[in-house]
Amino acid sequence: MIELDVRRVSMSFGGLQALNGVSFSILGNELIGLIGPNGAGKTTLTNVLDGVYKPTGGEVWLNGQRIDGLPPYEIARCGFGRTFQVTRAFRRMTVLKNMLVPAMALHPMARQRDFHDKAMEVLEFLTMEHLVNDYARSLSGGQQKLLELGRLLMLDPDIIILDEPFAGVHPRLMGKIYEYIRVVHEQGKAFIIISHDMDSIFTLSKRLLVLNFGELIADGDPNEVKQDPAVIEAYLGEEEEEEGPVVIPPGRLVAAGETEEESDA
Amino acid sequence: MKRSLLQWLIIAVGAVVMLGVPFALGNKPYWLHVAIVAYFYAILASSWALLAGYAGQFSFGHMAFMAVAAYTSGILGRDLGMTPVQSIIIGTLTSAVVGFVIGVLCLRLRSTYLALFTLAFSEILRLALNSELDLTGGPNGLTLELLVDTTSRVPYYYIMLGLLIVSLAFMYWLANSSFGLFFHAIREDEEAAAAMGVNIVRYKIMAFVVTSLIAGLAGAVEAHYIGFITPNILIIAQMSIVVAMAIIGGVESLLGAAIGAIFVQFMLELLREIPMPASIMPTLAQMEGTLEAFGLSVGEHGILTNAWRLVVFGFVLILTLRFYQNGLLYPIIDRLSRRPVLAETVAKRIQATEVES
Repeated sequence: MIELDVRRVSMSFGGLQALNGVSFSILGNELIGLIGPNGAGKTTLTNVLDGVYKPTGGEVWLNGQRIDGLPPYEIARCGFGRTFQVTRAFRRMTVLKNMLVPAMALHPMARQRDFHDKAMEVLEFLTMEHLVNDYARSLSGGQQKLLELGRLLMLDPDIIILDEPFAGVHPRLMGKIYEYIRVVHEQGKAFIIISHDMDSIFTLSKRLLVLNFGELIADGDPNEVKQDPAVIEAYLGEEEEEEGPVVIPPGRLVAAGETEEESDA
Repeated sequence: MKRSLLQWLIIAVGAVVMLGVPFALGNKPYWLHVAIVAYFYAILASSWALLAGYAGQFSFGHMAFMAVAAYTSGILGRDLGMTPVQSIIIGTLTSAVVGFVIGVLCLRLRSTYLALFTLAFSEILRLALNSELDLTGGPNGLTLELLVDTTSRVPYYYIMLGLLIVSLAFMYWLANSSFGLFFHAIREDEEAAAAMGVNIVRYKIMAFVVTSLIAGLAGAVEAHYIGFITPNILIIAQMSIVVAMAIIGGVESLLGAAIGAIFVQFMLELLREIPMPASIMPTLAQMEGTLEAFGLSVGEHGILTNAWRLVVFGFVLILTLRFYQNGLLYPIIDRLSRRPVLAETVAKRIQATEVES
């Protein structure tokens, strides 16, 4: 049983409080959406969970082991997998080698060819088995995204955090990523999906976390969270406000430090 | 790994040529010396290629690792009376320790910062070697006991060739094991590699330790062959030559870098004097003044190119960087060593596109 316990986690960069006492827990293979306005602390939370940052306060427990403060590679071996907001495939390595990195990291004494079958299986699931010997840099952006998702499966984590998996993605590829999440979720993995794409979030997630100014302002069933006044004000309300088009006052488009008088002269 | 007949033929010819060189050059000790130095540079260039091309750590401290081993070995031999073999082993281990320390210090440094840091380390070491007169002999250099007590260069040729083959084989094994996989992952993206469970701290340090060990071993043996060493081996131009050799050969290929080093070393030596027919030598002697205005001079059998050979070298380097970033020799090596996997993939892709359409 997957058990993640985030206890009053805080993270500050100098004077900036990026996370402020965030607490939540995951039990079993939950499918969680994480939303919030830009700068709310979503990516910071991801980085704290996977060890890129050591939190300035609070604790993170995964399956009965305290993981905050461990280096990223150990947290990855404990069962935490993530993708990055910007795709980060190993570009000058072949697709196969990309897939072998996490497998070999988990079993450094094994032989690489022992994992060829598993890698091919994952690639077939992603329908990119014909690209196995191609360099990652020669793949399209979407294929690189899929490769990153496939690489995660080789790590075989318990909890997967997807940071903006739908940003700039073609609808057909979106369907593929949906399928990936569904299938992998059924295999018993928990997901935390960060996205600004509300349709996807409400379609996929069974539970919604909302971050605003580093604080968790809502945690619950997506349909209930949707009605939460605090959430509407902080994030979802934008569409209903109907402010009309933004009017830029004349003269504002002139470059800074250059007044209209000067440009006329 | 299956090899074609052609590949086996090339390996066989290469082996025969390399083993047979002393018989062909037995009466030309100077060219045997050039070959020994070329192998020495080949070890340096290929180990630098492992560090920079494979692991992505563009260090300029490679000559420093080599000098640490050479000086340690020399000083131990002089002050403690160790035999060359003993002091070479301890010198090599010392350079590995220095590599470890530099690796730890460089953990958080990337690209330019790493290059500057290692360059500074190399310069500091050079200045220290220059000024510690009592310990190192300063600019006057340090005399070392010869590894083999003979005036013949043949034993040294085989020692250096053996060292080159052993270190290349070791590095190939390393590059094809999970180490090589992690080195590549670290070169491509450290954070992503860490998120995939790769202990980047361990493997970055490992890259420094292994390559400084190999550079140190080559340096110590070379110093005991020449019998003399000065801090000048640490000048930036020396390091640049090793980097340039690796780049010309192909910095992402260990064999490419080694062949690049041998190629460049022989090219530089061959360019020293452009041979001229004996019949026009007297005419050339009369024109000596004109030639000297162009930086050339007249030798025994031809025109001495002096500094012009370095211009040619620079030109080759510029051509490589502009047109063959993977190395001048790499395309050839790649063509000869390409595995049949590629053909399989192409067939699969054709199949895939046929199904789609």
